[in-house]
Amino acid sequence: MRYFFKTIHLIDYKNIVPKTVIGLFIILILLIPVFTRNVVTLSTLIMTGIWAVAAMGFTLVLRTGQFSLGQSAFMALGGYASAILTAQMGLPFWPSFLVSGLVSGLIALLVGMVVLRVGGIYFSIITLALGEIVRIIALQWEPLTRGSRGIIASAPPPIILGGHELVNFNASLAPYFYFMICLVAVTGLVFWRIGESRLGRTFAGTALNPVLAEHQGIYLMKYRVIAFTVAGVFTGYAGALYTHFLQVITPMVFGLWQSIQIMIMSIVGGIGSLVGGPIVGSILLYNLGEYLSRLDTPGLQSFLFGSVVVIVVMFLPQGAGLVNLWERFWNKVVWREEEYEPDEPED
Amino acid sequence: MPYLELKNVSKHFGRLAAVEEVNLQVGKGEILGIVGPNGSGKTTLINLISGYYRPTKGTIYFNGKKISGLRPDKIAELGIIRTFQSNVLYEGTTVVESMLISSYQQYSTNNWQSFLETKAWKDDNEKAVGRVIELVKLLDLLNDTFLPAEGLSHGYQRMLGIAMAMIANPQVLLLDEPTTGMNHEEAMFVVDKIKLLSEQGVTVILIEHNMKVLLNVATRVVCLSFGNKIADGIPEEVMNEKEVIEAYLGTEIL
Repeated sequence: MRYFFKTIHLIDYKNIVPKTVIGLFIILILLIPVFTRNVVTLSTLIMTGIWAVAAMGFTLVLRTGQFSLGQSAFMALGGYASAILTAQMGLPFWPSFLVSGLVSGLIALLVGMVVLRVGGIYFSIITLALGEIVRIIALQWEPLTRGSRGIIASAPPPIILGGHELVNFNASLAPYFYFMICLVAVTGLVFWRIGESRLGRTFAGTALNPVLAEHQGIYLMKYRVIAFTVAGVFTGYAGALYTHFLQVITPMVFGLWQSIQIMIMSIVGGIGSLVGGPIVGSILLYNLGEYLSRLDTPGLQSFLFGSVVVIVVMFLPQGAGLVNLWERFWNKVVWREEEYEPDEPED
Repeated sequence: MPYLELKNVSKHFGRLAAVEEVNLQVGKGEILGIVGPNGSGKTTLINLISGYYRPTKGTIYFNGKKISGLRPDKIAELGIIRTFQSNVLYEGTTVVESMLISSYQQYSTNNWQSFLETKAWKDDNEKAVGRVIELVKLLDLLNDTFLPAEGLSHGYQRMLGIAMAMIANPQVLLLDEPTTGMNHEEAMFVVDKIKLLSEQGVTVILIEHNMKVLLNVATRVVCLSFGNKIADGIPEEVMNEKEVIEAYLGTEIL
C-alpha cells in the first residue's frame, strides 16, 4: 500500500497553474446552467460533484495509510439521517441537512476509535462489514427506515427573500447544480487546507512509516481518527444531497459496488492531490459509467472500469493518477522546468 | 536521583529471556555505550526504553516518573527519541520533507492554528524550517536536501536517521548502532556530533561495535551478555575485564 504514497507534495514549490486560468475556469463552470437547461447534462454534472466529494473523503483516509472499503456506508448514513429527519419526523430541511453530516461523522468517529488502534487490513475488513451492516439495518428497521420500500425525501424548500421567491428547487435543476458547487467548494477548501497544514504532513508520516512516526511523538490513532471522521462528515453531506436530489433513498442505493466506485475514482484521479485528483477521477469515471450503462450490455461497465484502473496503475503508478499527468504537462511544456541544482555551501 | 533508571527490568519472549533483571542508572549529559555480542539484548533494551516493548518485569523511571508501559509517542513526547538499527525512513519523501515530518514536536502551535494559517503558526513554521536547515547543514546533508531519501547512500541514510531524531527535541537520545557501514572518517564525524549534543546537555545512549568509536565518545560502558549486565564502568576498564573478553571471544580451554 505504501506504493500509493510516492507523490505526496509536502511543500508547494511553485504555483502549478496560473491563477487567472483557474479563475476563468471557475467562472465558466458557474455559468453552465445559463448556457444549458438540459436535464441530462445538469444531472450528470450534479452526480459527478457528489461522487467527487465522496472520493475526496476516500483519498483523505488513504493519505493516513488506511484503506476504507465502506465509504458508501457514510453516504447511506447521511442520506438516511436527512431523509428520516425531514420526511419521517417532519423537521425543516436546512437543519436536517446540517445534522446529517454530523451523524455520519459521529458514526465514523465511534467506529474509528475502535478499529483504528490497529488499522491496516483489520480496518479494511471492518469498513467492508460496516457497509453491509448499514444496509441490513436500513432494510430491517422498518418503523424508522420503511425497509426496502425506502423513504421519499422531498426537495429542499424554496428560498424566499423579502416576499420574493429567490430559488425554487422544483422548477429546474440549476439550484441543485449550485448546491452541489457549494458542497464541492466547501469540501475542497477544507481538504486543501488540511493537505497544506501540519495535519497533511502528519498524515503522510503515519502513512509512510507508522513505527518511525510513533517513535517521533505522533499518536497514530488520533490522526487516523481525525482523517476518518472528517471524511465521514463530508461523505455524509454528499449522501444527503444525493438523497434530496433523487428524492428517494432505499437500502439498495449504497452498497459495496458504490464503495468500490469511490475507491476507483480516487485512485484513477490520483492521490497526490486531495482535491484535484478525486474531481478528475469522478468526472472521467462517472461520465464513462453513465455512457456505458446506456449501451445495454450487461457487465460492460464493470469490465471497462477495471480496465481503466489497470491502465492508469500501469502507466501512472505509485498513486500518481491523472492529476500527475496534468502536473507534468504544466511543468515540462508550459513552465519548461529545469533540473534543480543545489547551491554550493558557503564557507 | 538518576536521570534515567531501569530497575530489575526483564523482557521474556516465551521462554527466551532477552533481557534479564537489568539495573541501570544514567545521569544527565552522560554518553553511555552499550556493548555485547550478538543476541545479548542490546536492541531489546533500547526497545524497552523507547516503549516499543513493555517490560515483562521491572520498571523504568525517567526524571523520577515511571515510563514503562506508556505508549511510544508519550515517551517520545517526554524527550526520549531513538534511531533504528536498520535505515528506517519515510519512503517516497525527500530529505527536507522527512525532516519536516519529524519536526512534529518542534511546534508550539496546534493543528487548528495551522489549519486556519494564523500568524503564530506562520512564525512557528518559519522557526521549524530554520531549525531543519540548521540540522541539515550540521549533518552534511545540504547537497541532498531536495533528493529522495531512499536514493541516498547507506552512510547518508544513517545520518538522516540521526538528523530526524535530533529534530524531535531529544532529552535522551537512543542511538542503535549509528555508525554501521561507515568508514573511519564518517564514524568520527558522527562522534563529533554526538559530543556536541552531549555538551548541550542531551543524554546519549548508544549501541556500538566499533571499539575506536566507543573509546572516543563514551564516558561509561555497559556490557551485556545473554540479557545480563556483566560489566559497568569507564570504557578502558570494561574492555579489559575478563568476563567481557570471554563473552566476546569465548573461554580458553586448557
